[in-house]
Amino acid sequence: MNSPQAAGRGQRGLRGDQLSGIVLVVIAVMVAWENRVYPLGSLAAPGPGYMPLVLAIALGAFGLLIALRGGASPLLNTIDWSETTHGTVAMIACGVAVFALERIGYRLTMIALLVFMLGVVERKRPLPILLVAVGFAFISYYVFATLLRVQLPQGPWGL
Amino acid sequence: MAEVFNNLMLGFSVALQPSILAYAFAGCVIGTLVGMLPGLGPLAGISLLLPATFGLNPIIAIVLLAGVYYGAMYGGSTTSILMRIPGEAASVMTCIDGYAMTQRGRAGPALAIAAIGSFIAGTLSVVALMLLAPTLASFALRFGPPEYTALLLMGLFVLSYMSGGSMLKTLAMATLGLLLGMIGIDAMSGYTRFSYGIIELSDGIGIVPVAVGMFGLSEILLTAGQATPPPVQRPTLRQLIPSRDEMLLSIGPITRGSVLGFLIGIIPGSAHIISSFVSYGVERRMSIHPERFGNGAIEGVAGPESANNSAATGAFVPMLALGIPTGPITAVMLAAIMVHGVSPGPMLITQQPELFWGFVASMYVGNVVLLILNLPLVGLFVNLLRIPYSYLYPTILCFCILGVYSVSSSVVDVWIMLIMGAFGYLLRKMNFDLAPIALGLILSPILELSLRQSLAMSGGSYAIFLHRPIAVTMFVVAAALVLLALKPLVFKSKDWRADVGLDEQG
Repeated sequence: MNSPQAAGRGQRGLRGDQLSGIVLVVIAVMVAWENRVYPLGSLAAPGPGYMPLVLAIALGAFGLLIALRGGASPLLNTIDWSETTHGTVAMIACGVAVFALERIGYRLTMIALLVFMLGVVERKRPLPILLVAVGFAFISYYVFATLLRVQLPQGPWGL
Repeated sequence: MAEVFNNLMLGFSVALQPSILAYAFAGCVIGTLVGMLPGLGPLAGISLLLPATFGLNPIIAIVLLAGVYYGAMYGGSTTSILMRIPGEAASVMTCIDGYAMTQRGRAGPALAIAAIGSFIAGTLSVVALMLLAPTLASFALRFGPPEYTALLLMGLFVLSYMSGGSMLKTLAMATLGLLLGMIGIDAMSGYTRFSYGIIELSDGIGIVPVAVGMFGLSEILLTAGQATPPPVQRPTLRQLIPSRDEMLLSIGPITRGSVLGFLIGIIPGSAHIISSFVSYGVERRMSIHPERFGNGAIEGVAGPESANNSAATGAFVPMLALGIPTGPITAVMLAAIMVHGVSPGPMLITQQPELFWGFVASMYVGNVVLLILNLPLVGLFVNLLRIPYSYLYPTILCFCILGVYSVSSSVVDVWIMLIMGAFGYLLRKMNFDLAPIALGLILSPILELSLRQSLAMSGGSYAIFLHRPIAVTMFVVAAALVLLALKPLVFKSKDWRADVGLDEQG
């Protein structure tokens, strides 16, 4: 079986390291731009902008070298992205859960997140979903909030 | 020597208290389970447990977290050997020959040698820690800002050279981590940098959301949609006994792995992950039959497993003696004791002897607990792997949210975790190593402070680093590593990664 490197060798197109190198250069430029508001100071008394600028220059240089040496890395279209859809759905669900956390409380949020992940994404049967979701939400709340006295948000009806 | 012995007795009087024993045991059990679960390595496990230690006293907190740390090392080897799934990154090398042994019906001896090797390495490295940390702490009193700057930079170069991938990419990731550490209030001038009006960011980005996002969440994103893992073998107690030949073949790798792992572990910037790679390479190179490696060589299990456990202990030397974390795991543990007002550093051993020696003694206890837990109870622990991953990963996701939120009751931290998870996923897809980001983030404030103090001391001259012998030595080591990394590019030769079967990327 061919590795992604072997599969992409000799073909034309943007490669993984070339793209990531360019992204690093862009980040470095953005940091340097944002850093202009902080005083650089002098060598004898470096200001708050000194170190970020040095690091931005270093990051830009590393990014450039990665991009320039990226010819041997796999082509972007040979990288396996098969799990990305699944991962994106999980991330969006987590994002919604974080948004809801302090609004509807910890337990309701966890129940909703687990019901969505197990029911909609993983298509499990209702009874196990209910047991896992309610069990996790209430047991973890009891352990963390009651036993360990960690502050967890409460929602309507004290949930 | 008599003083060390007396101190150790003091340590055992602390570590053998029933409450501390109970927490050491709990830490080892939790760590073993965490190490076995794909998606929850020792770093994510320790980070998630951190809020639970806030209400405990500092000795119990550190004993509990240390138990999780080396418990996870043991647990990671179980899934590597039985299922070819490294529960945590340091077990990657164990997968190669450990799983090959399982396929040949020798899973039991592989598990036994991994546990025995880990026990011996763990015990030897605690002895070394006990002898070295106080000496290093007194030596560290000579360290000023230039020495700390040189030490931290050398650590980052060591990490970059020894990491599994390209040195260039590792340095880029370390720089990115250092830049992330710039967010928040500048300790010297009081300026708030890169916070964009978000009040929570003025305290900087914490290690916990970054660690859980990059090491926990990104792993879940990579594995969640994948096919069901292979069925699990459950070796009986009798099947665990290695043959005489297997025992004899393992003695050398265990000894070498213990020494090598400890030495790698004490260098700031390196990690237990690297030690297992290096140990595997050394064993393959030293073997009379290197062709056996990859096909079930017991040395390929004994060496890396001993090395990663030894490195886990070695990492505590600079943490306790210098107050410098050698990696993200020790950084979280430092945070755990600093919450209680304990300042780690050269004075810790003299000012808090019961904490230091209690911790050392608890490591002996932890090693014994793990040996008892991991051999007879391995059949019980592997039941965890029977839980379908489709049930497991959503609950791990919920744990990640719960753990990160609990640290400072901040939703912003959870958003940071999600962003770092997505970022970590993309970086792993592009073959970037994530550990340097976490390390850079931790070292950033110390490095910036020591560099600026060094420049202030010298009136703005970088020559100060050349006038200090300790700093010069460290910079020479860093320069030598850069030259070694350039050698394969210039002479078109192979570097150490090729010896251990990793991609050589320059």
